Amino acid sequence: MRRAPWRAVGAGHAFVAGYVILLVAFGVIPVVYAIYFAFTNAGNTFAGLSNFTQSAQDFRYVPAFEHIGAYLLIWLAALVVLVTSLAIVLHQMSVRRLSTLVRFLYYVPGALAGAASVLVWLFMLDPTVSPAASLLHLLGYGTFGDVIQPGHLAILFAMIAFWTGAGGWIVVMYGALNNIPHDIMEAARIDGAGAWRIARYIQIPMLRKWIAYMVILAFATGAQLFVEPELISEASLGVAGRDYSPNQVAYDFAFQNNNVNYAAAISVELLVISLVVAAVFVTRSRFFDAS
Amino acid sequence: MALAIRAARARSRLRQSCTRAAIAIAAAALVAVSAAACGSSGSSAGSGGSSGSAGKDGFTQAAQTSGPLTVWVDSTRQPAVQAYEKAHPGVKLNAVLYDGDANGSNTLQTKVDLYDRTGSGWPDVVFSAENNEVSWAQPAGFTAPLNKGLIPSSVLSSFASGALNPCTVNGTVYCLRNDLAPVVLWYNAPLMKQFGYQVPTTWAQYEQIGEEVATQHPGYIVGSAGDTFTPEIYLWASQCQANDITGIRAVTVNVTSPNCQRMAALLDTLVKDGSMTKLSVFSTAFDKDDKGKVLMLPGAAWIGGAVFDSSSGLNTPKGQIAVAPIPQWPGSATPATGNVGGGTWLLSAHSAHLTEAVDFITWVTTNNGYQADLAPGFPASAPAAAAWLANQAKSGYYVNDITPVLQQAAGQVWQGWGYGKFSQEAIWAATVTPGITAGKSIASMLPDWQTAITNYATAAGYQVSH
Amino acid sequence: MTAAPRLQPRRRRASRAPGQAVAGLVLLAFLVFFVLPVVWLLLAATKTDPQLVHDNPLSFGSWHALRANWDALTGFQGDTILLWLRNSAVYAFLSLVITLALGIPAGYALAMMEFRGRHALLVLTLVVMLMPATTLVVPLFLEVNEVHLIGTLWSVVLPYSFYPFGVYLTYIYFSTALPRDLLAAARIDGCTEFGAFRRIALPLAAPVIALVGFFSFVANWTNFFLPYVMLPSSSQYPAQVGIALLVTDVPQFNPTAGSASVLRPELALATLLAITPVLLVFLFAQRYLISGLLAGATKE
Repeated sequence: MRRAPWRAVGAGHAFVAGYVILLVAFGVIPVVYAIYFAFTNAGNTFAGLSNFTQSAQDFRYVPAFEHIGAYLLIWLAALVVLVTSLAIVLHQMSVRRLSTLVRFLYYVPGALAGAASVLVWLFMLDPTVSPAASLLHLLGYGTFGDVIQPGHLAILFAMIAFWTGAGGWIVVMYGALNNIPHDIMEAARIDGAGAWRIARYIQIPMLRKWIAYMVILAFATGAQLFVEPELISEASLGVAGRDYSPNQVAYDFAFQNNNVNYAAAISVELLVISLVVAAVFVTRSRFFDAS
Repeated sequence: MALAIRAARARSRLRQSCTRAAIAIAAAALVAVSAAACGSSGSSAGSGGSSGSAGKDGFTQAAQTSGPLTVWVDSTRQPAVQAYEKAHPGVKLNAVLYDGDANGSNTLQTKVDLYDRTGSGWPDVVFSAENNEVSWAQPAGFTAPLNKGLIPSSVLSSFASGALNPCTVNGTVYCLRNDLAPVVLWYNAPLMKQFGYQVPTTWAQYEQIGEEVATQHPGYIVGSAGDTFTPEIYLWASQCQANDITGIRAVTVNVTSPNCQRMAALLDTLVKDGSMTKLSVFSTAFDKDDKGKVLMLPGAAWIGGAVFDSSSGLNTPKGQIAVAPIPQWPGSATPATGNVGGGTWLLSAHSAHLTEAVDFITWVTTNNGYQADLAPGFPASAPAAAAWLANQAKSGYYVNDITPVLQQAAGQVWQGWGYGKFSQEAIWAATVTPGITAGKSIASMLPDWQTAITNYATAAGYQVSH
Repeated sequence: MTAAPRLQPRRRRASRAPGQAVAGLVLLAFLVFFVLPVVWLLLAATKTDPQLVHDNPLSFGSWHALRANWDALTGFQGDTILLWLRNSAVYAFLSLVITLALGIPAGYALAMMEFRGRHALLVLTLVVMLMPATTLVVPLFLEVNEVHLIGTLWSVVLPYSFYPFGVYLTYIYFSTALPRDLLAAARIDGCTEFGAFRRIALPLAAPVIALVGFFSFVANWTNFFLPYVMLPSSSQYPAQVGIALLVTDVPQFNPTAGSASVLRPELALATLLAITPVLLVFLFAQRYLISGLLAGATKE
């Protein structure tokens, strides 16, 4: 694999120059500043690890991390398994236009990300007015309050996050599947491989980098859970979803308790956790290899 | 072999230089950040107002200039801005629409904190749907003291007694109250007559009716325990010491006291019987099932317009709803009631247009042109309130004259429940409401509620005594 | 020699039928899951508020109610909803252009070129991408204030234009899909790096440009917190912040919302208006997303 000769070094820098400016301005500087906040206190003096230890003693801290652990398990499993499977199944559909339509329809909820969907979920989860009322009644829930009980929240948030997020990843995976050369697929089919074997031995291995990317980001965005509990908190007027996730606790520290330092400490912790997981997947999938 | 070693060395050199490059970028950023941090204008703690009584009118005033006034209002208060402009032709206000800090969105504090860091950008006058802004705004030096020369005492004393309490810190008034929301007893007069009940004056009578309704007329309700403001209706009226703010950062919390337990017991009895609903009066389930079945409903002064006389609420027809004073427990020297909301106007201590700001804030809270004619809520200014009540009576919606009841209730709000930086509604919603939904008794949840209040208060920087 | 292969496919097709039926059922089940709430939203905009509560959730309201909701919504602050949508469009398109102009070459270079700092750049981008945005707001605000851009649309567009997710997508796309032989051939022929990029990589990059453009557009369109913090005036708000403002005027969410109340069907209509541009952009981008890399570009 021939690499470009060193005379191309200048060109490489020229290609990334504009991006690097934005990266430093809106990525590196704010991140370094935030890390600076995490290790200093309000008077701008060095505080060692005290922000970390003291924020960990807040009554909301440990429950938030317990919640996020449960949520991540459900979220990651659902996203990785279902997105990959649905993308592969969609890809095998012989009727192209139907596959396009289905992909579009799967994506539509993604446009409803954020606060705009608070009304939708308030009604979907209320057995008195929901289109899925029969399902909710079957599960034994009579009122909105029954549905948003503390024990249900992890599944609820994972479901909402999947609803808005899966469509986009299915589109990405579908595009990645399209890049698998047709010759390989044809050869496999001629050899007698069924859909399952093609998926398992050809498609999934060739999606290695994409799946790794999806897991890394899904873990990070899952660890940074914020929108879904805020949504339910707004819909329920505070009954459920308040202070549920570490990111929400960080937000409260920053903007309610006026303590940016504790907030930064929690953000750094979430960053470190995400980086560890990212490192695992980067090395296992040889992510940074330009091959 | 040699080639491989040379390639490996080249690769490691590349990686070293890459790592060096990464460190270089990070170091440069760190330098830039430290320079910015040293150069930026300090933290938000204590600038201007909190440094005591220095300066004119009790605070250090910014350099005054001429120009349009920047006023932040929510959409319900926009008519106030328009009315002011109409009444003062030639005056143009820069009105900014924002969420009014409703539902604990914390917008105002967030933005003021950012402006404090950069040293500019504050609005001149702000409306807030919350009553507890002063609890953070005063230490942050955002609000200007109003009774140290800016506003004449004749104006300030025209507010209903106790109305300016949420605005007052150590005798200094830091905001003006927009409207009052004392708790009264709303009831359906024809239904009460039909069922043969007398309007209760004591909580014992109220409970009695509730128990009878449960057996004689099941399905009808006498109150709701499912709203986020339920504690502000029942427990505040019962003089429960759940939120006794004693200083700018001090609170006494004692919810296992008899005053709290007696009300918890009442609520539990009626919830168990079914005559008190677990649903919020704003929930779709309530709308669907209980719409015509409200016999009595303790609630704030705005319930009449927002719930009964509203097409998106219960839409109760004319001539049915009446109002009475909230029932009382025996043994209280003076009648007490609760309060759910209101709203406050704050004047920024950083304002460069103080004269115009004072004129606006005074007009908007006391002038009949807005408060009596256009405002949806019960004005905190007593003269405007009288005019507002007269307007309400003209509509002929209510069965009896609501004026004396509301005016009386306005003066009876118990002073032992304050406005802290932490939200009692949010704490109740997160701690107690799920338990009620799951069938637990409120009495059994009182210790947990106490712990939750203590935790949130401590996290907000309060010294909590029991 | 030709007889045997012809027999086998037919047998295989028959045994694939039950598998395909299951697959079809699964797709349908998920279709209902994804689409049902959106169908509800569409129908909700055609109802009055009492109808929303009392009628069947999936029943159609009336054209008259839809018209009334539209009038009430545009009546709010005098067509402000349309102003908010226009703002969203301006911010999203401006930053889309910058994102593509800077991000696509960057992703290409990371994938296909060797230069000092390449590895560092990849790591740094990943680290920055994984940082929770909560605490980045204050530093960003201070930074933007430092260059006196607070209150201008650049306070929102420039941070939006930084889209590391897109750079990574481009990087993965080029590193997995573009054969290096093509570029090697181009270099041998005397092409400059930029020439190779422009003449070979760019034409083949339509899918990833569409992908990155689309995701960037959606991310910017649905971003709430950055414009909420940076933009002081409600006339500058994008649709997302505007709708959050509308929610505080819905009595069921904020009991003290008095005379200016927004009814739930109006909110539903506002939400539909806010998502329509996203869906239109997706439809437009879909044409390019399908094509994928032209197989056979390098017939060995």
